Amino acid sequence: MTATRRDEEKLWLILFRIKSVRARLNFLALQDWLFTTLAFLIGGAATIFAAALYLSPLAFLVAVIIVALFTLAVTLRVARRSLRNRATSVKAAAIAEERAALKGRLSAVLAMANAPAPSQLWPYLLEDTYGLRAEFEPARIEPRWISRSVLNCVAAAMVAILLLALSLMPNGGPSGGMLNARAPEISADIDNLDIRPADPALEPNAEIFADPATLRKLANKLAAGQKDDGNETALSKWMNKARGLGADLQDQVSGRKSGTRPPVRLRLTAKNDRESKGSHQPASPGGSNGQSKDQGGKAGSNPPGAGGSQGAAKDKPPLPAPMPGQQGNEIAGNGPVSPAQSGTNGAEPGQNPSDMASAAGSGSGGMSNHGPGSDPQHLFGAPTSQPLGSDNFRITIDAQASDESSTPGAPAYIPPKVRVPLNSNQYPDEPLARASIPAADQTTIKRVFER
Amino acid sequence: MNEATASATAEQPTVADFARIFRRAQAEIHKVIVGHEQAVEELLSALFAGGHVLIEGVPGTGKTTLVKTLGLALNLSFNRIQFTVDLMPADITGTRVILSNIDGRREFSFQPGPVFCHILLGDEINRATPKTQSALLEAMAELQVTVGGTTYPLASPYFVMATLNPIEMEGTYPLPEAQLDRFLLKVRLAYPGEDDLVRIISATTGAEELGVEPVFAADEAAQHIEGLKRLVREVIVAPALEQYAARMVRATQPANARILGDIRTPVRVDAVNRYVSFGSSPRGAQALILGAKVRALLEGRANIAHEDIDRLAPAALEHRIMLNYAAHADNVDAAHIVEQVVKAVHQTRP
Repeated sequence: MTATRRDEEKLWLILFRIKSVRARLNFLALQDWLFTTLAFLIGGAATIFAAALYLSPLAFLVAVIIVALFTLAVTLRVARRSLRNRATSVKAAAIAEERAALKGRLSAVLAMANAPAPSQLWPYLLEDTYGLRAEFEPARIEPRWISRSVLNCVAAAMVAILLLALSLMPNGGPSGGMLNARAPEISADIDNLDIRPADPALEPNAEIFADPATLRKLANKLAAGQKDDGNETALSKWMNKARGLGADLQDQVSGRKSGTRPPVRLRLTAKNDRESKGSHQPASPGGSNGQSKDQGGKAGSNPPGAGGSQGAAKDKPPLPAPMPGQQGNEIAGNGPVSPAQSGTNGAEPGQNPSDMASAAGSGSGGMSNHGPGSDPQHLFGAPTSQPLGSDNFRITIDAQASDESSTPGAPAYIPPKVRVPLNSNQYPDEPLARASIPAADQTTIKRVFER
Repeated sequence: MNEATASATAEQPTVADFARIFRRAQAEIHKVIVGHEQAVEELLSALFAGGHVLIEGVPGTGKTTLVKTLGLALNLSFNRIQFTVDLMPADITGTRVILSNIDGRREFSFQPGPVFCHILLGDEINRATPKTQSALLEAMAELQVTVGGTTYPLASPYFVMATLNPIEMEGTYPLPEAQLDRFLLKVRLAYPGEDDLVRIISATTGAEELGVEPVFAADEAAQHIEGLKRLVREVIVAPALEQYAARMVRATQPANARILGDIRTPVRVDAVNRYVSFGSSPRGAQALILGAKVRALLEGRANIAHEDIDRLAPAALEHRIMLNYAAHADNVDAAHIVEQVVKAVHQTRP
């Protein structure tokens, strides 16, 4: 009777040890699941945050989807692995046996614990296993209290913190520079230029300053653009919606607010069509610019070879006088001009735009924009590369040089060779030495060049 | 050891008794047999597990000497049959002869054959015809012999050791599978190494006679051995280990729906499917567990472990696997197959 009681006590202790081992193994498995899942969640969140800072809305949306799917898949996989690693009593006994070299003793005790008529060697097995109880103490079988996967979690957290710190540094991340810097005033020639927000999903936040004629032309262009919008395909609609969603999400993640984004001050100028077309679109008689239908229509009605620039000049507003802050932009729009194409700009610097409009309306055919562009006072070398982040506008030169006429079968437009005398502010195109640029204009010019 | 203690040990031996007796028998055998430690251990394991042993070895490796020494060490009755092609079943089992009694009346009387003993050595069993070989079947499986409609029980313990010469195969009759299956283990005796050879020379060519001291007294030997055999049966086997043994046996069987009722095998071994015609029978699983039990007792355990089964697998399974022509063509033997099976099944351990 006493022997039986003693055997029961030994059995209880052995089973208790097995349960303790099991509890510890399961605790570690739980930690493994928790820490690994947490590590992937932190990593995913950090990646999304980084994407919000550095990627465009559409790319950000794609990145978010990929990261979310990846994190979900990994989390499920980790959960499945942890469930598989969950130790039952039998498994815990097997693990303990293997680690303590107990050669099946624990499994046998566990299996026979509830057997109705155990073998006559049962007391011996109990005694034998009980004698080895020190070998299968939970702390000896599994000394760790904390799963190694905590290191994954710590590593992920450190990466996330580093990323956060980088983004919060003043001018450290793209958002910092973008949010803090006040966008300078930008001048741009709207003729032959397509002005639109870089991302259609973003709210327009530009302040546009221009003379009435230029604004009217801009309104026409916008109307034309809206007509084009009506033709947008279902795919592009979805893309725009996706962009919108991505932008909203991006703003939420990065903490940016669209309403508080500093506006870009965009000053528009309209230059003489004859100049721009004569110098930049020699093969396009004014009709190849799809962005400006009214101009294109009128220019296209001119007889071939008659000088599209002259015809277009009648409907074009006069070229406003270039202001010091604008000249760099004009250079960006014009580029180098050969002496053969050079013309005379009748507008004087500082002249009233309305006066210039009337002057341009009188038609000085073949007028070129050599004047301000070749002014040595405002010429300078290639801008140095400076990361300015991104604002929300893109200025695209839409006109492309072409050797073909817009009318099928018609002879190609050959630009006229016009030679006009240079005005007092103009010089023949020659390699010019770099000039110093006013500090106030540098950023603007560089920004324009970076477009 | 006084008589009372010896009697108690014979009636109800302990795990420690088992290990002690086993080691002592081993030591006595090794007084004569040099080397072959594993073969001797497997031989004794088969004896205490209640099975029979097939010993395979080239001539001169001590097969017959080993068996004779075992008989001497255990102090059991020992007979030897030299199997030849003209040996008849009655020469093994015994026959009925007409004898005159005191009254002068003649009547049939059964003359027991050499099979009636505790330890039977069937030397070069593959030289006898299958009919004669089969005469041993009933004795080995059921511990009885039936002659002329009368069944005669054999004395217990009954242990058959058959030797098999793998060379000089001309004029031999390969053992039927049914008979092969009745051998619990197959023990291989390889050529001894150089050191063992030197010891053999010095031990057998001198003037001194090597004496084997019996482990048991003659009248108690059978009782002792039966007690130890019962103890072996008491060793505890966890269900997981029974499943492990079953899985190992199943893994020796090729995926052939014609033979297997249930072709789902948790462990598939490519070598088995390619080279094996027929795998082990359920007797293979029994051999694994019984042999493992002996090994557990030898290590002082009351339970068997995976390692015991793995260790016994070659001896218990090799002779139960029938190879096909592809195996012979590729020079693949059963030992290789069992090795692959053990490796594959080992990976399924928890």
